[in-house]
Amino acid sequence: MRRLMLAIAVLPVVCSIMAVAEDENTGQSWLTRSGYYRVSYTPSLEPLTINKIHSWIFHIETADGTPVDNATISVTGGMPEHNHGLPTDPRMTQSLGNGDYVLDGMRFHMRGYWELTVTVDADGRRDTVIIPLTI
Amino acid sequence: MTPGRRKWLIAMIAILLATSAWWQFGPRSPAPWTELDLKVLQRLSLDSLPPLPPDPTNAVADDPRAAEFGHKLFFDTRLSANGAVSCATCHQPERRFTDGLPKGRGIGLSGRNTRSIVGSAYSPWQYWDGRRDSQWAQALSPLEDPAEQGGNRMQYVRFISTDAEYRSIYQELFGPLPDFSDRSRFPLAAAPLDEPKINAAWMAMSDEDRHLVNQTYANIGKSIAAYERLIMPGRSRFDDYVSALLSGNDEASRTIFTDEEILGLQLFIDEARCTQCHNGPLFTNNEFHNTGVLSFPGEVPDRGRIDGLKKVLADPFNCLGEYSDDPEKRCPELTYVRSGIELIGAMRTPSLRNLGGTAPYSHKGQNESIADLLDQYNRAPLAMIGHNEAEVKLKLSRRQLTQLEAFLNTLDAPLATPDKWLRAPPQRAEQGR
Repeated sequence: MRRLMLAIAVLPVVCSIMAVAEDENTGQSWLTRSGYYRVSYTPSLEPLTINKIHSWIFHIETADGTPVDNATISVTGGMPEHNHGLPTDPRMTQSLGNGDYVLDGMRFHMRGYWELTVTVDADGRRDTVIIPLTI
Repeated sequence: MTPGRRKWLIAMIAILLATSAWWQFGPRSPAPWTELDLKVLQRLSLDSLPPLPPDPTNAVADDPRAAEFGHKLFFDTRLSANGAVSCATCHQPERRFTDGLPKGRGIGLSGRNTRSIVGSAYSPWQYWDGRRDSQWAQALSPLEDPAEQGGNRMQYVRFISTDAEYRSIYQELFGPLPDFSDRSRFPLAAAPLDEPKINAAWMAMSDEDRHLVNQTYANIGKSIAAYERLIMPGRSRFDDYVSALLSGNDEASRTIFTDEEILGLQLFIDEARCTQCHNGPLFTNNEFHNTGVLSFPGEVPDRGRIDGLKKVLADPFNCLGEYSDDPEKRCPELTYVRSGIELIGAMRTPSLRNLGGTAPYSHKGQNESIADLLDQYNRAPLAMIGHNEAEVKLKLSRRQLTQLEAFLNTLDAPLATPDKWLRAPPQRAEQGR
């Protein structure tokens, strides 16, 4: 019984570690805080590396999987450990249709743990998600 | 002392001596690197340096004739207010294009330590605070800085247009020079500078004439940049070590680096966290960080990048400006540049290649030696303004600091640039610097 309780107690920890591990892979998607949108991204740099300015394509869907075409996306980010932000101010420059958006001006200047805050605004519904990323 | 005790003491001393001898002269431990370490080392190696990126803002960036012209201009003391200062006064090839002084000394005392131009063609930003965004825009700045070459752009473009040799080279590269001979349109001295007379003369000129001067002036910078693009770091012992490691030649790698250097390199990529900023084959991310380097007593702390950013955005010779040769004005770095409070007191990460021969260090030359520099990170003082990003003290031992320094000294190497570019061009050699 005690073992079972212990297993139940550590389950959320294990799950959250697994979630972080998954989150660090491109191709994963993240649900925004209020559950309005699902966000995924593809960097134009493969593999993702530091000190090169490049663009990302963001894909935005509603929670039930319908692509969102009239969204505005903004991205900020930083390294919590170092108390600094991204060296650039990336901006959405193009909507490609089918829920895809180009974000130009991405660059990382240090290896380590980053957090990107993505804000999606469409049809008066604004929602945010923090994406963890280790480079 | 009883014989028993004496024997015991002798035995202890013998063990101690044997241990120290083994420590000093014993067989070396095999290369300690993990697969991940090797990846990190490979990224730092000069073999990973990509080809020099093109500079679309400078149409003559890779024109050998422009490099020849720039070489002459770089060493020419006539490009100064007093005829005694050239680019090479502070950027001395024999000192890896630095000057060995805490702060640069031209006509007067410059505000900051002279940065090397070795490999600077790879950087999206120039200067400690990134107040210029290309080598050619940077080259124009000291020419008019009262503490450096101290002249004015009108003086320089007139000089180029009246010197027979330079006039001919210039026109071959850029086409016909404007006629600057009419003093009523083109005064003797004019530029948008703080000096009231020179500024007033500039303001009195027509927009068209100012544009002609600026265009010619920009071409002087572009020629100097074509020369500076050739100044590249050479292969160091560190690069040979990594190359031997990666090819699996363990024996060779052991003869290239000493144990102290290996241990220093281990610290560099791991415990000392140096590669957070000193990353890539040039050992710099060319970004801006506040590392809490204190001002000299009595000096106002330097605001660094937070001011440099305003200056580069306002510079008429920046990538987005009308003197850039890129018709599409593709300027991602300038377009997406970001401000933020962490840029207060932040300075651009310097390369660590050739660190050994380029003391003193830091933006005002505050650190006299590599040992001082390392001590700075060990102590991690509170920043005088802004926030010290490297605020966690390294707490390395004296021995570890020595190892780190031993490794850093392996990054010294003669430049990869042919010798002819590293001395004054023959016809100007007699003028000295």
